[in-house]
Amino acid sequence: MQTLIQTFMERRGDLVTALWQHLGISLAALVLAMIIAIPLAIWAVRRPRWAEGLLQLTSVLQTIPSLALLGLLIPLVGIGTVPAVIALVIYALLPIFQNTYLGISEIDASIEEAADAFGMSRMRKLFKVELPIAMPQIIAGIRTALVLIIGTATLAALIGAGGLGTFIMLGIDRNDTSLLLIGAISSALLAILLSALVRWFQTAKPRHALIVFVGILALLGGGGAYSVYANRVETITIAGKLGSEPEILINMYKQLIEAEDSHVHVTLKPNFGKTTFLFSALKHDQIDIYPEFTGSVLETLVKGENPKNQTANQTYQLAKKRLASQDQMTYLKPMAYNNTYALAVTKKFKQEHHLTNISDLTQVESILKPGMTLEFIDRDDGLKGLKKAYGLDVTAKSMEPALRYEAINKGRINMVDAYATDSELRQYNLALLKDDQHFFPTYQGAPLMKTSFANKHPKVVKALNKLAGKISETDMQEMNYEVNVKNESASTVAHNYLVKHGLLKGGR
Amino acid sequence: MTTAIEFQHVKKTFNDQTVIPDLNLTIDQGELFVLVGTSGSGKTTSLKMINRLEPLSGGKILVNGTDATAVGVRDLRWQMGYVLQQIALFPTMTVAQNIAVIPEMKGTPKKEINQTIDELLDEVGLAPAEYRDRMPSELSGGEQQRIGILRAIAAQPQIVLMDEPFSALDPLSRQQLQELVLRLHARYHNTIVFVTHDMNEALKLGNRIGIMRHGQLLQVDSPAELAQHPVNDFVRDFFSASRAKNVYDIYVGRVGLVQGYLDAKPDVTAGKIQTFDRQATLRTAFTALADHDYIAVTEDNNVVGYLDRQRIMAYLSQHEEV
Repeated sequence: MQTLIQTFMERRGDLVTALWQHLGISLAALVLAMIIAIPLAIWAVRRPRWAEGLLQLTSVLQTIPSLALLGLLIPLVGIGTVPAVIALVIYALLPIFQNTYLGISEIDASIEEAADAFGMSRMRKLFKVELPIAMPQIIAGIRTALVLIIGTATLAALIGAGGLGTFIMLGIDRNDTSLLLIGAISSALLAILLSALVRWFQTAKPRHALIVFVGILALLGGGGAYSVYANRVETITIAGKLGSEPEILINMYKQLIEAEDSHVHVTLKPNFGKTTFLFSALKHDQIDIYPEFTGSVLETLVKGENPKNQTANQTYQLAKKRLASQDQMTYLKPMAYNNTYALAVTKKFKQEHHLTNISDLTQVESILKPGMTLEFIDRDDGLKGLKKAYGLDVTAKSMEPALRYEAINKGRINMVDAYATDSELRQYNLALLKDDQHFFPTYQGAPLMKTSFANKHPKVVKALNKLAGKISETDMQEMNYEVNVKNESASTVAHNYLVKHGLLKGGR
Repeated sequence: MTTAIEFQHVKKTFNDQTVIPDLNLTIDQGELFVLVGTSGSGKTTSLKMINRLEPLSGGKILVNGTDATAVGVRDLRWQMGYVLQQIALFPTMTVAQNIAVIPEMKGTPKKEINQTIDELLDEVGLAPAEYRDRMPSELSGGEQQRIGILRAIAAQPQIVLMDEPFSALDPLSRQQLQELVLRLHARYHNTIVFVTHDMNEALKLGNRIGIMRHGQLLQVDSPAELAQHPVNDFVRDFFSASRAKNVYDIYVGRVGLVQGYLDAKPDVTAGKIQTFDRQATLRTAFTALADHDYIAVTEDNNVVGYLDRQRIMAYLSQHEEV
């Protein structure tokens, strides 16, 4: 509970932004769904056969898993807010359409007859008689849709549309229950609150309801107009994957670029999604730059066989070549650190047994007590292959990612698997062993952009190249530690590093 | 008298089934005309063809001398009130809004509409201050149908169509509303076409009654003519079936209808004549005849005719088997 409150206090700024995004996406989807479903239902009331078909269709749309739907939309409309809104609209159609249709078609035939007999026009009958009578049911449909939308909108974070889902994703990614709870509780509260608001609309005096509705629209519209206005200036959009490390990197990119070219404005989209989403966003010009790992490029983004036991530079050159030829992209020079799988031991253990390289481990085989993630133990490029490559004979206990750090801290195990830049390495005073056989694939970070963009923006390229060969694993661990554990902002951490290493003039 | 509504060789088929083969009927202006018949006789269909809720399959209907299909359907309906069996007040509108439906569409000034609403509510004995803003669901069935009638006549239509308006009401409300219809008719002199399956209601309301069966008009006549000279057994039976089961419950007005009244006012002192409303039963009449010689039958306090003991005995013995 304590941590929950603490996290909340630290993150409230982000929470407000996320809430706003969430609300914006949800309401936009709701309004669009209403605009589509209500007139369609009214039209279908006189055409029962069409109505039947439309009900079937909306039901089918509803059964598509939301993740699959988002996936299907990416090739069509790319990523970001647009596909998120489209997906949400699709989900909201059924309850609104169904309730409007049933609400009107279930009106007593005698009332319809009376309206006809008094010579009401089609429109007058609709607005004076049918809609008022069906209103409670229509509102109920809208409320169902709203709750559905707000829940599903948490998935929008997966395709870079932001919202409360960002908290949930980050929470899962960092194994941080507080973040996850904040995201989940906020979205539940939002649903309850808005549902109550819609109910209030139903009973409120029409004039009050109209004022509030127009107010909300104006607020959101104003936000939209502002962002359009803000985007009017030549802006470069840089996105990063989930987590603190990409966020620190893109903050460095921003500061370097803006220092190099004062006419450029850089917008950052941290925690924008996972590898393929970002790559697709870059392809569809929704973002301009994002930092990508050389290993990930070869593994998931480009086609071709991957030779084994490559040096870092060989890996980079291959990735660069394939990106250029297959996707017309420019891959700038990588930074120093290699964020790959690694083996870590406590500093004390390392000194006591004079360990430097992984191959040194064979001398201490008998006293090794490794605790590793199940995934690492099971992978061919994890422990299985490692044992073969180094002729090691050890058996590891499988442990949850967070637990293994706890365990080594308490001395119950003495070796763990890790990512080379994990902040926990710094937190628990652990040291990495050198992969002297180049067994693990290299994961060096470097800025990725379209070649056309690189050609048009030489200053940006120049600015970003300043980072080439900079930032060691320990630097990155330290910075991750500052953001994740000490809760400093990514922007400050980035700034401090750049100033300290003379890449940026200090005192801002 | 001028003609308000005229059916000329009207034919109606539903899914290749002829429900009305050839209907010819003239309804005069200012007349309260009742169409009576069993269910499925085509009476409601005939009514709905007047305001074109049901299209005709053949022939034509003239309204005030012009073909109803030659006028815009909404113009046609705006000059015809309509009262439904299901009442069908608009549930989301108040009493006042319901009454204002047609005047509003016709563009009557709001002030005038409000005045009309108050007058009409007063007329049917519902205090405007209390009832104007009530919702239909807050009214009893009888009150609802009063509003239903007001809604139909608010724009002062020349013609009012009523489709079994009281058949869903309790006997007391039914009687009160029947009297209301008579009173409104006397006051506004509009043409009313009233559909019912209840012969008693028809006898009470109609200036003329049309009896329908299988889509055909068997007889169109005044109540007395129908009672005394039915054209066939069906009309006779239909009429007889409306008689009360117990002889004591028969209305005195019915005896007059069937047996005919005395030719003139009897030349006796006023003390020898007892006055009864035509809805009074023979039970009370028998008691009165013990010390009176004649009975004066009234309708809305106007004397319709006179009966003596012989007439009543003759009715009991001859005309309708008790």
